[in-house]
Amino acid sequence: MSAEQKKFLKDIKIKKVKVIIAQILLLSIFLLLWEFLVNKGIISAFIYSSPSRIIKTIIELIKNHNFFIHIYVTLKEVFISFVLGISLGFIIALILFEFKFLAKVLDPFLTMLNSLPKVALGPLIIIICGANIKSVILMALLINLIVNIITIYNGFTGVDEYILKLFKSLGASKWQILTKLVIPSSYQTIITSFKLCISLTLIGVIMGEFLVSKEGIGYLIVYGKQVFNLNYVMTGIILLSIISYILYRLIIILENKLLKHL
Amino acid sequence: MSNLLELEDITKDYHTKLGEVKAIKNINLNIKKGEIISIVGPSGCGKSTLLSIISGLDNDYKGKVKKNKDLKIAYMLQSDALLPWLTIYDNAILGLKIKKNLTEEAQKYVDYLFDFYKLSEFKESYPKNLSGGMKQRVALIRTLSLKPDLLLLDEPFSALDQQSRLLISDDVYKIVKSEHKTVILITHNIEEAISFSDRVVVLSKRPSIIKNIVNIDFKNQESIYERRKDTNYHKYFDLIWKDLDINEC
Ligand SMILES: Nc1ncnc2c1ncn2[C@@H]1O[C@H](COP(=O)(O)OP(=O)(O)O)[C@@H](O)[C@H]1O
Ligand SMILES: [Mg+2]
Repeated sequence: MSAEQKKFLKDIKIKKVKVIIAQILLLSIFLLLWEFLVNKGIISAFIYSSPSRIIKTIIELIKNHNFFIHIYVTLKEVFISFVLGISLGFIIALILFEFKFLAKVLDPFLTMLNSLPKVALGPLIIIICGANIKSVILMALLINLIVNIITIYNGFTGVDEYILKLFKSLGASKWQILTKLVIPSSYQTIITSFKLCISLTLIGVIMGEFLVSKEGIGYLIVYGKQVFNLNYVMTGIILLSIISYILYRLIIILENKLLKHL
Repeated sequence: MSNLLELEDITKDYHTKLGEVKAIKNINLNIKKGEIISIVGPSGCGKSTLLSIISGLDNDYKGKVKKNKDLKIAYMLQSDALLPWLTIYDNAILGLKIKKNLTEEAQKYVDYLFDFYKLSEFKESYPKNLSGGMKQRVALIRTLSLKPDLLLLDEPFSALDQQSRLLISDDVYKIVKSEHKTVILITHNIEEAISFSDRVVVLSKRPSIIKNIVNIDFKNQESIYERRKDTNYHKYFDLIWKDLDINEC
């Protein structure tokens, strides 16, 4: 490797490290400022809590054995809703793709459902499913499914016309076109729908937990509000930020793995 | 049938919401085995339409396409149409796989073609790592692997730069000549048409009719470069140019 090339690669690394340092710095300043402002009484400790109070809350929650349960419950609900949302979205998109007539017929209804504020369905969901995990998952599904269907369906219909013509000229069967062309060319869109889906699922799960649950991070937040311990609320919010960041990163890692040749 | 393919009064109208598009009208053309035919004409005049009809992809037309039932036809398009998620090798054998025809013999032939086009070291690469010319060669291997009798080439070189274009069209020319394939090439490059083919069919603007058929006769047929050196080259150019409806379509 030439000296110039080495320098070039080194420069790239330095830039990357600089960004990370700046990010850590920004976060630290934010946390320190928060702690400082609360300690000096400039902003209310009761409402805004503080980093040290959040850490204390977490330790207390761990001692009471329910900290990990809350995280576990929320993650479980997110996982189930995500997997269900993606699989159902994929299957329904596939059905619509194969039956274009059905797709045309259902189009306005899907649009309607998509723009309906799902919270409005909350009371109905509770009555149908009862106050349990089913309600939470149903709420999350209502929020993520339509978007999944629409995104994946658009992926299916966006197949390169030249490649489609090639397949047809090779005498490919419908099944071959579907499995060797349509589905693989939608990898990119499917990953995009993963990204949309993960944030929508989190919204849905937390909304569901607000409505019905006895456990989970959403519950922690609602409980904090009820007992006027806003430390719980802040802890919940911080936990959610961390979880959504980690889940999103996981999808990015998956994306880089699956799509590295595209 | 002495001809490989006979087109009788082929007429095609497209029906769209905006109205009727009369694409081609009463096309009559006989193509002999081993012949290389180029079709030139203004863009949008119906050249691709004609190939779709010949290939059997489009069955909605008037007139008759007479061909042997088991005539093997392969298509090469403007885009290399490689699948980005498959390796170069898997792309090359895609046609064989779809036709469930991936025999040992076929694989050997593919390997031979990879060697011939000096692409062997790229078998495990992915399309994005190859140049446009290399990708079009892979598309060529994919096409040839099916051992077609008739090659339909729909502006296959038009996305390439001039150099790659000359190189790969010479590749195609040589292999087609040596294996006595029949070819129909669509191009909007008159020079390419002349240097490549035995006959150049000039189509009019829409609705397309055959305006002229120019027979190309060169002494040295060895390569497209040799053909381009022929003293008659410019005479043919003028003949075709005269009949081409430019900027009218
Ligand atoms: N599927 C289609 N539906 C309607 N019109 C079409 C369709 N395909 C092609 N056409 C029209 O038919 C004419 C000929 O198209 P085409 O054969 O692709 O032209 P060329 O290949 O010579 O550029 C064009 O005017 C085009 O707009
Ligand atoms: Mg065309």
